[in-house]
Order: sequence, then structure tokens, then C-alpha cells
Amino acid sequence: MGDRYLIIGGDGFLGRWIIELLLRRDEPNIFVFDLRSHFDDVKYFIGDLTKYEDINNAIKRGRISIVINTVSPLTGLGDDIYWKVNVDGTKNVIRACIENGVQKLIHTSSASVLFDGVSDLVNADETTPYPEKYADAYNETKAKAEALVLEANGKNNLLTCALRPSAIFGPKDRTLIPGIIAVVKRGQTKFQIGDNSNLFDYSYVENVAYAHILAADKMAPDNKIGGEAFLITNGAPVPFWDFLRFTWAQFKHYPPFVIKMPRSVGLTLASLAEWSSYLQGKEPGFTRFRVKFSCANRYFNITKAKTILGYEPIIGLEEGLRRSCQYFIEELNQGRLDFK
Amino acid sequence: MASYIVDSLLHPSELVALVQFLISGASSQKKIKSDRSTKTRCYEFLNMTSRSFAAVIQNLDDELRDVVCLFYLILRGLDTIEDDMTLSIEKKDPLLRDFYNIIRVEGWRFEESGDQEKDRQLLVEFYVVIDEFLKLDEKYQKVITDICKKVGNGMADYATDAALNTYGIISLGDFDKYCHYVAGLVGIGLTNLFIASGLEAEIATRDEAIANSMGLFLQKVNITRDYLEDISHGRCYWPKAIWSQYASNLYELKNPGNETEAINCLSAMLLNTLQHVTQNLTYMNSLRNQSIFEFCAIPQVMAIATLALLFRNYDVYRKVVKIRKGQTLALIKQSKNIYQVAAVFRYYTQQIMKKNDARDPNFLKISIVCGQIEQWCQTNLSQKDLQQYGYSQDPQITLFVIFLLLASTAWLVTTFNINVINMF
Repeated sequence: MGDRYLIIGGDGFLGRWIIELLLRRDEPNIFVFDLRSHFDDVKYFIGDLTKYEDINNAIKRGRISIVINTVSPLTGLGDDIYWKVNVDGTKNVIRACIENGVQKLIHTSSASVLFDGVSDLVNADETTPYPEKYADAYNETKAKAEALVLEANGKNNLLTCALRPSAIFGPKDRTLIPGIIAVVKRGQTKFQIGDNSNLFDYSYVENVAYAHILAADKMAPDNKIGGEAFLITNGAPVPFWDFLRFTWAQFKHYPPFVIKMPRSVGLTLASLAEWSSYLQGKEPGFTRFRVKFSCANRYFNITKAKTILGYEPIIGLEEGLRRSCQYFIEELNQGRLDFK
Repeated sequence: MASYIVDSLLHPSELVALVQFLISGASSQKKIKSDRSTKTRCYEFLNMTSRSFAAVIQNLDDELRDVVCLFYLILRGLDTIEDDMTLSIEKKDPLLRDFYNIIRVEGWRFEESGDQEKDRQLLVEFYVVIDEFLKLDEKYQKVITDICKKVGNGMADYATDAALNTYGIISLGDFDKYCHYVAGLVGIGLTNLFIASGLEAEIATRDEAIANSMGLFLQKVNITRDYLEDISHGRCYWPKAIWSQYASNLYELKNPGNETEAINCLSAMLLNTLQHVTQNLTYMNSLRNQSIFEFCAIPQVMAIATLALLFRNYDVYRKVVKIRKGQTLALIKQSKNIYQVAAVFRYYTQQIMKKNDARDPNFLKISIVCGQIEQWCQTNLSQKDLQQYGYSQDPQITLFVIFLLLASTAWLVTTFNINVINMF
């Protein structure tokens, strides 16, 4: 084949999974660009994405033909970081790809580029437009970056595409599963806000990684992948609370009873909780944002990825959740983790 | 009738449907009169053998009505022979296999059915069905003959299958195959009749797997619901692949002490059944003729309502579980177009999601299949129309009941007024 891969953010959660899949098929030329290194089975370029020389140097020295950019800053780091990493960093990647004659750039976007912070996303697909206004900088900068990547398609024969996963989870996941377990620790599993008829879409990390490999393998000048965005999920939207309850069940936690309250009551209580936390100077666990989130529909139609990329989730939602929880159960048993 | 009204007291839309049924009841039951006595007799048989099917069949457009009526009676004839425990296998086997030829033998009748067979008279006078069948257009005869041959052979295979009769249905594949012979083929046959009539286009309904699924869904709901009745007759059609995960034999399920396993096994059966729903919605969404649509949709909405009622309902192991009469009538009124039907499916899907329990081994699988149904509706039907058509059977305190409560409270207060005052 002779393809030479550079996985930007390859030391992170998703990036590492992409590398695992590449290693599984014995790819000889895999490189990682990241701030730090936790593995020694692939060659690393340590550098900062926001510095053009760093990324340019990696692509040049690695004689890279395929770039996969999975970088995503953690939430809560401030808007500046999002603009710098998501937008300026992506610009650097695009420029370096074009100048060094890279063949393909696969960009990890997010399904949240469609989220305005308020509206439901009911069965949204790639024809759904970007919102006019974003509620937070993360989604806004992800959208901006994605648009830049797709615009670059065709420049100096570079092929680009963007993948938009929704709610990635898996073993070693630092956000979703830990967040769900934290609800148990806070003793809040007895509460349900809304009637649980709202559906949510999730993506097991290996499926998302697999979609990246598919895009890298299949994108060619004579097909419709270049210049396109694809929503990637497990294709199995489920009621919001069911995903949580199934996760809790893996830890043998079953709420003894469930108090169901309408959204409006939840919002009122959350306001009170936010105030009382504020007065006590604590970080609130029960917020209006979370209430709205737990009552929203957020699921997608992934037909485009299925027909054009040939994507099908390889690990089902239930199996994916079992594998993820198994990892966390072991970590808890070994005392390496504590969800407090 | 009074008891039906009491059952539906908390469901105003059902009350409306019941009252409408009472008022129009007599006139809605079409009497199909024909100058041919054989045809009149066929419709009499239809009404005798199945009240629910008689109504939907008689609403079909003129040409199809007779065709489907005869198709139904021929299958009913086959079924009566298959069901009959007084007939020896040696007698039964050739009859079932040869039935597709028998329906062409003028004057044929069969008087050896057991006295217990409720439809034995149909076979005694079967020559009237044959007379009318032979008068049908050749294209219809061809479809009916073809299905009759397949169903007859399938039934005979099952009747003579020693392993099946000893061990029951084993794998999920066997389960689907059994349901295919007794119900899926009916779906395929009906579809071919619709297409032959020219009332339905071939495009979407052509897929046999989808037509098959229409029948499988109905059959699986029935098989699940009829556990107790079938067990008491020494038979059961639940596949071993499912029940063996919850009990060492099927009879055990209903025994006290096995409630949790019984409920979970029921969920597994219904999960298997629910997997047909999106295909069936696709089938119904492709139909163009109004009378055919209602003919297909009515049994489907009944089935989903029944399924939601059966889900996590231990009564299945104690008694016959049925939807209310008023609910049936309200559902029939809700089967006029795909949007109404989708509203019914969405409503009952939500009922299922509400009852779903994280301790159930199939919890997430059930969530996923319910999510697929909702997503099908959102993908294939416009949101505006989905919002316009609602369906709900949530218990509501009717104005009447509120009035009763207020009146009785007033009465209580006035009656016990003195006592209340004296207490302080």
C-alpha cells in the first residue's frame, strides 16, 4: 500500500483506537502527533498543533500521505483554547497538508456542530444546516473547523472529509461513562426528569475509529466522499434514561424507586440547586443545563455514512456498553479509580 | 355492552367509539346479498368463522372482497383439518398436501371432522366454496392455489414431524419458519392478490420478506398471548431458544416462584416480535388503496396494542389477556391512513418504553427496537403530519367521573356536616 499515516491526537481516546485498528492490520507506517506520549509501539512527533512549524515538520519528516486529525480539547478549558486548537490548529493542519502534498485529510468533527444549545435534533442528517447561533464556543469552533476542512477539498489534489460522531464512549473514556457513574455517587439515580420518550444517539469508540479507517481507505478522486461530512453513530438511538440505567445496571446499581418529574419542575429545582451551590461556593451537580439536556432529543439519521462510506457499526450499542463498563469495573476493583 | 362501557370509563375516546358503535352497529354490519345462493352461503360462513375478519373483509373494494373471502375460507378449511385431533395422521397428511387440488373438485365435501371442531360445517358444505372459487378470475385462482399448496405442505410437514411434536419449536429460525407457514404465507398471498387486482402497485409490496413480516408479527403476538391456553391443550409454540434461558421447561414458567423469569421470558418473546414493526410500517406506507390499507392496518394496530398490554404483564400466565372492546373500536377508527397508524404505534411503543425495566436481560435491546420504530416514523413521515395525528389511551378522569366525585363529596359533606362540627 505504501500509505503513511499521521494521527494527530493519536495519544488520546479516539486517536489511540484508530491506531489500534491500523496496528491490527499491520500497517507499517503509523505516526502520532501529540503533546505527550504514553505508548512506544508507534513513532511519535511531540508537538503543539497551534504551532505551524511543529505540525509541518511532522508531516514533512514523516513523508505523510494520510492525515487523521482527532484532536479535541477537553471541555471546561475556556473559549480561548477552543478557538486556538479547533480553528487555528485546523488551519495549520490544512496548510501543512496542502504544502506537503498530502493525499487525504480525515477530520474528526462532532455531531454537535448541528446543536444550537436549545433545539432538539430529531433524526437530523447531513442536510440539516448549521445553526445560525451557537450557545457555546466548543460547538461553534468545531463547526468552523469542519467548514474549513471541507473547503480545502481539491486544493493541490488534497481530498478531505469530516466525520461527525455523537457522544463517543468506550473503555478509558474520560467523559461519558464516568459522568454516568458519578450520578450514582451523588445518589441522584432515583430522579427522572421528563417522560423518557426523548431519544439519544451514542457512538462506541471502536465504531468511530472504524469509520475513520473506512474514510481513509475509500476516499478517492472518483467518488463522493471528498468534501463531505458524515454523521457517525451506533445507529441505535435509545431513550435518554435507558442508556444511564443500563450503565448503572452493569455496576449492579438499580434505583429502588424512581421519582419522575416534569421538565418544568426539574428546571425550577435546578435553579434552586444552582443558587444554593453558589451560596455554598460549591460546583453544582444538578443544573438547568443538565435538566434541558436530559429532556432533549438528540439523534441522527446515518444513512449517508451507510450508503456512501459503507459504514455499519461493528460493535453493537449493548456490547459496546458492556465492554466499556467492564473496563471501569476492573479499574474500580483495582482501586485505580474512584468516582467521587 | 354495559360491561364494555364500564371498562372504558376512564378512556373518553373509547366511550365515544363505543357509543358510535352502538348507534351504527346494526347498519355497519354489511349484509352481502347475492343472487347466487352459493355466494350468499360463503359470506354466511365468513361471518360464522370469524367476526373480526368478516368485518374488514367486507369493507374491501368489490372485486377483492369475494377473492379475499374465498381465500380466507379455503385457509380456514385447511386449518380445521390441521387442528382436528380426532383425525389420524394418515388421513390428515394427504388431505393437507392435496388441498390445492381439492379446491378444484366440484361437489367435494368432508364430513369426518371431530364434533368439537367449531368450523366443521364449513367442510361439510365445502362444495359451495369450491363453486365460487372456480368462478373467480384465473389470475386469482392461481395465487390462491399456489399459497394453498405451500400452506398445506407446511402444515403436513409439521403434523408429521416427530421431533417437533415431541420437543416443540427449537431455534429462532424454526420459529420464523413455523410462523411463515401459518401466517407469513397468508401475507404473501394477500399481497399477490392485491397486485393481481391492479389496485396495488408492485414496487414496494413486491418484497416477499416484508409481506411475510406482516403475518409473522400478528402470529407472534397471538402465540405469546395464548401461552396459557396452548399449554392447557398440551402444546406451545414458544421457541426453545428463548424459553430455555429462563426455565428448564415451558410449563415451569407459569409456576409460582418463577415470576421474574416468566416476565423476562415474556419480554424476550415480545422483543422478537417487535423486530417486525418497522418492516410492517414500510409495507403499510407503500399501500395506495384505501380499503386495502384499512384491511391491512386494523389487525396490525390491534396487535401492537395487545403487545403493549402483554409486555411485563404477569397476567399472561394467569388468564386470557385482551384489549378492551372500546379500545378495539377506537383503534379501528384510527386505521384510516399511515399517519394515524404511526401515531398508534408510537403511542404503544412509548407504553412499552415506560414499562421497560433495567433488570430485564433484554432491557437495552427493547429500548433500541423502540428507538428504531420512532426513527422510522421520523425518517419516512413528515414531522408536520406526525404532530397533527395524535393517539392516546391514557386513563383520563372524564368530566362525568369528576362530576360524580364532586357530587358524592358534596353529599358526604352535607350528610356528615354535623358530625364534623361536633368533632371540634
